[in-house]
Amino acid sequence: MINKAVNREPVIKTENLDSGYGKKVIVAGAEIKVKPGEIVSLIGPNGAGKSTLLRTIAGQLEPIAGSVYIDGKERHGYASAEIARKQAVMLTERPPAERMSCMEVISLGRYPYTGRLGILSQDDRRIVQEAMELVHVSELAGSSYDQISDGQKQRVLLARAVCQEPEIMILDEPTAYLDIKHKLEFLDLLRDLTGKRGIAVIMSMHEPELAHLVSDRVICVSADGRVEMTGTPDEVFRDEIISRLYGLDDGRLRDLYTGFVRSLEGSAGC
Amino acid sequence: MNKKRIIISYSVLGILLLVLVIMNILMGSSSMTAGDAFRILFSHDNASKFGRIVWDIRMPRIIAAALLGGALAVSGFLLQTFFANPIAGPYILGISSGAKLVVACAMVFALTHGLLLHSLVMITAAFVGSLAVTAVILFISGRVRSMSVLIVCGVMVGYICSAVTEFLITFADDSNIVNLHNWSMGSFSAVSWDNIKVITPVVAAAVLMSFLLSKPMNAFQMGERYALSVGVNLKAFRLSLITLSSILSATVTAFAGPVSFVGIAVPHLIRSVTDTSRPIVMIPQCFLGGSVFCLLCDLLARNLFAPTEMSISSMTAVFGAPVVIAMLIGRKSGR
Repeated sequence: MINKAVNREPVIKTENLDSGYGKKVIVAGAEIKVKPGEIVSLIGPNGAGKSTLLRTIAGQLEPIAGSVYIDGKERHGYASAEIARKQAVMLTERPPAERMSCMEVISLGRYPYTGRLGILSQDDRRIVQEAMELVHVSELAGSSYDQISDGQKQRVLLARAVCQEPEIMILDEPTAYLDIKHKLEFLDLLRDLTGKRGIAVIMSMHEPELAHLVSDRVICVSADGRVEMTGTPDEVFRDEIISRLYGLDDGRLRDLYTGFVRSLEGSAGC
Repeated sequence: MNKKRIIISYSVLGILLLVLVIMNILMGSSSMTAGDAFRILFSHDNASKFGRIVWDIRMPRIIAAALLGGALAVSGFLLQTFFANPIAGPYILGISSGAKLVVACAMVFALTHGLLLHSLVMITAAFVGSLAVTAVILFISGRVRSMSVLIVCGVMVGYICSAVTEFLITFADDSNIVNLHNWSMGSFSAVSWDNIKVITPVVAAAVLMSFLLSKPMNAFQMGERYALSVGVNLKAFRLSLITLSSILSATVTAFAGPVSFVGIAVPHLIRSVTDTSRPIVMIPQCFLGGSVFCLLCDLLARNLFAPTEMSISSMTAVFGAPVVIAMLIGRKSGR
């Protein structure tokens, strides 16, 4: 997977990007590249501005300075319908989706492709079916979205994003509401997706250990809103870097993740 | 989405509509037989006593109840989508009362100057009133996150507008008070054929345009950010939603006065029956449902204590408010 991506041009690129609300810069000077099939994670303390950065990349916030390039073209050069065929998002906020079946929620991913009234064609239906199979939610098709579990909801939203047939997926803390089993399941699915479809994924993660597990590259956003370091998981996940990023006292991380950090250092050594 | 339930719902609503239209033609302070009515309808007799009753009084009233009832239910559904809350509606948010106030002003002005108001002027006045209150409600909704606070504010704004209207009517010219009073309580009785000629294209156009917004409305039901991410132009979409909803409820208020609860009760009943909130299903069904609901209420308002007529709003409240209460209880229990 990683090798496949090496020679391709990045599908997401930011140049000296300042993001924030109004005039207030929250994350300054971000330089990010994501290639097709790559998973790039943003890690960092609460309030560092990971979500703000993602929202700016997703076009839901205007950049304060700098630019976002999608497929080599500046993002605001695209029409909104055009960008919706390239990029799917998964947000932390829960969609209300009252009285909607999972199938209806997923089908909304076809929005940029359907006609005036949003009626699904044969092709659309097939793509929805395939997305449901890929994400293992076929059996939920008829269930009400507001009655399924959190883990199932995240998978349904992922299927929705998949049937949008994006080149890029932007996920804001996709594992936040899940227990450890479902977190791992979700990340496996994501890995599988990027491999099969060559989708470029950029997402924020709360758990450094999971970011290490799933990412091709990791971006550290520090508490004062700088992109402090970008590298492969093994480059980034060192005791001193993670401790500094999260403002932990010396040794705390080691105490917390003794086994984890030790195995990390072991593998980095060989 | 359950296709069978939707088909059943369409059939039931269609049959009810037909039955209620027939009952509304036949029943009233002077009842006629089905034979009379049949003869009058197909011979276009508008000279005999029954002929005049059917063509001059009952038919325009039936058409008004059907069109305006439908308009009100669709208006409610649009507002519910806009606020992502099933308790929103033009009456409860005070929008109808705002429309009533401006129309009352226009009427009093016209009456004291001996002018006759054209239907379109009435709609425009009501539309201005609706938009003014909507602007207030939007301003409040920008400041308070809680929907229940917003609803209470809407009720309060509604009371203020009603109070000012009452004030106006009390001091209006004696000879006009009766007319004005009837209208301000809500009634389909004053609608003329000339009014119908204006109501029909306005309501038809607004409902059709709402229907054409089904797709972005559906996406919007997932929340505004998801809607944005699939390419919905939020600003234009919101503006169209509010404008269409205001035109629809303004048309109702201009001709029938304020009519309560239809905008909340009907969409809720339709949702329960069809078990979906997809706009492409909801909009036509709400329109039919609103027609049926108002035809039934108007039938009862005319006949229950005949020859004394009750206001349409008291009938819609008797049937609509319990539905709304049941809905609130149903939601509380976490269904």
